[in-house]
Amino acid sequence: MTTAVVGAPGSLRRYLHSLWLLSARDLKVRYSTSALGYLWSVLDPLVMSAIYWFVFTQVFQRGDIGGSPYIVFLIAGLLPWVWFNSAVSDLTKAFKKDARLVRSTAIPRSIWVNRIVLSKGVEFAFSIPVLILFAVFAVPRVELSPLILLFPLGILLQVILLVGLGLIVAPLCALWGDLERTTRLILRALFYASPIIYGLPDLPSPFRELALFNPLSGIFSLYRVGLFPEEFDLLAIGVAAAMSLLFLAIGVLVFRRLEPAVLKEL
Amino acid sequence: MDGGLAIRVDDLGVRFRRNRRGGRSLKDLFGGAARRTRPGEFWALRNVSFDVHRGEAIGVVGRNGQGKSTLLKLVAGVLLPDEGVVEVHGGVAPLIEITGGFVGDLTVRENVRLTAGLHGMSRAEVARRFDDIIAFAEIADFVDTPYKHLSSGMKVRLAFAVVSQLEEPIVLVDEVLAVGDRAFKAKCYRRIDELLAEGRTLFFVSHNEKDLRRFCTRGLYLDKGALKLDAPIAEVLDAYNADYNADSR
Repeated sequence: MTTAVVGAPGSLRRYLHSLWLLSARDLKVRYSTSALGYLWSVLDPLVMSAIYWFVFTQVFQRGDIGGSPYIVFLIAGLLPWVWFNSAVSDLTKAFKKDARLVRSTAIPRSIWVNRIVLSKGVEFAFSIPVLILFAVFAVPRVELSPLILLFPLGILLQVILLVGLGLIVAPLCALWGDLERTTRLILRALFYASPIIYGLPDLPSPFRELALFNPLSGIFSLYRVGLFPEEFDLLAIGVAAAMSLLFLAIGVLVFRRLEPAVLKEL
Repeated sequence: MDGGLAIRVDDLGVRFRRNRRGGRSLKDLFGGAARRTRPGEFWALRNVSFDVHRGEAIGVVGRNGQGKSTLLKLVAGVLLPDEGVVEVHGGVAPLIEITGGFVGDLTVRENVRLTAGLHGMSRAEVARRFDDIIAFAEIADFVDTPYKHLSSGMKVRLAFAVVSQLEEPIVLVDEVLAVGDRAFKAKCYRRIDELLAEGRTLFFVSHNEKDLRRFCTRGLYLDKGALKLDAPIAEVLDAYNADYNADSR
């Protein structure tokens, strides 16, 4: 029987099969349980964009902070931020949410981390048309630069960063319950500490250098350079790549170390 | 089918914490996994070694809390040892924690797809076997019912139906047969007989002496986390009875 089984246990094919099975289940729940399924995944960043647009262009005078049109600038930062934010907050519950399945199914445990990064990433991909829509109809018009080809690099780096963070956060939160709240608090601070409502070039001197070490700075600039070439910052991108790989390396070590303890705790 | 090694367990040890929130520190993260017992921890299993050949039927005997289920989980790969190694050649179809692995909010159909899929069954294969599984579990009317709304008997029937359909060479059974009515039990027995006849390896945990004698050829007697006896099943049961039933007679 050649078709009965997908790959040998432990093979890459089997891994991807299981990963996709679980991610597809997440997406099915997301998109089929409510009539507004798709809308929900873009509504959040859209409402946030509208709020910040209102606050910073109508109430405060933002001057030349961020790109113009500001609403496109905001959406280009908020869509990937929502991916990052929702993935990390789900990662804090990666093992608890499906504790019964984890306890009884001997698939590689990293799947429980990667499936969250993947399913949230697919939601992000589905929300990209919204960015395109705004970029096309915005006034003043935005010029598309060839740097838009860097957009996929942004996705790649964000995947690496999220997997690395997930391998650290998921087992730690399963063992120490308090860390779930701590992570939420850090995420909230990180929102303002990352170039989302502003751009990296807008920061004054000591903060700018500090922000370089936030891998999200480089990643978000990769998403934006296609529409806002002034956001290009080679140093930030280089640091982001290095930091993401560093997080991945630390994540692999931490995960391997804590995996037995997590399984006992469930 | 004979001669090949199915499971190799060598100097296996696993420890648990006695109290839930006691003394976990960052040292656990950085400290070495040394061969020592920290305060508040106990060894659920220690110095357990045995080999299982392909096609063998092993019965695991012991009182509650002596490490039987822990041993099964280690063989199933859902728990990792602190000491020693568990080597399993080929996939494992685990019938442990009775209904573990099924998700309450998903329907029966989705659960079957998910569980079978996670054991590597392709979509087409699941579709092909789906009717057999449902017929075996006798829940044709509840295919689109959320799993959590099934009765406990149905849950066990479904779990057994799915896992016993997996093409895995090793089958783990933990106390499942204690639940379910007589007719279904008879069906499960027939299915286990079939699996054994196909040359699968069976790892069986039960308190039911009759079941153990019926299916198993070899017994493992676990006591206080140690392997006390590894012998033909009749001998193991006699030893177990001598230890624990003597004073009740």
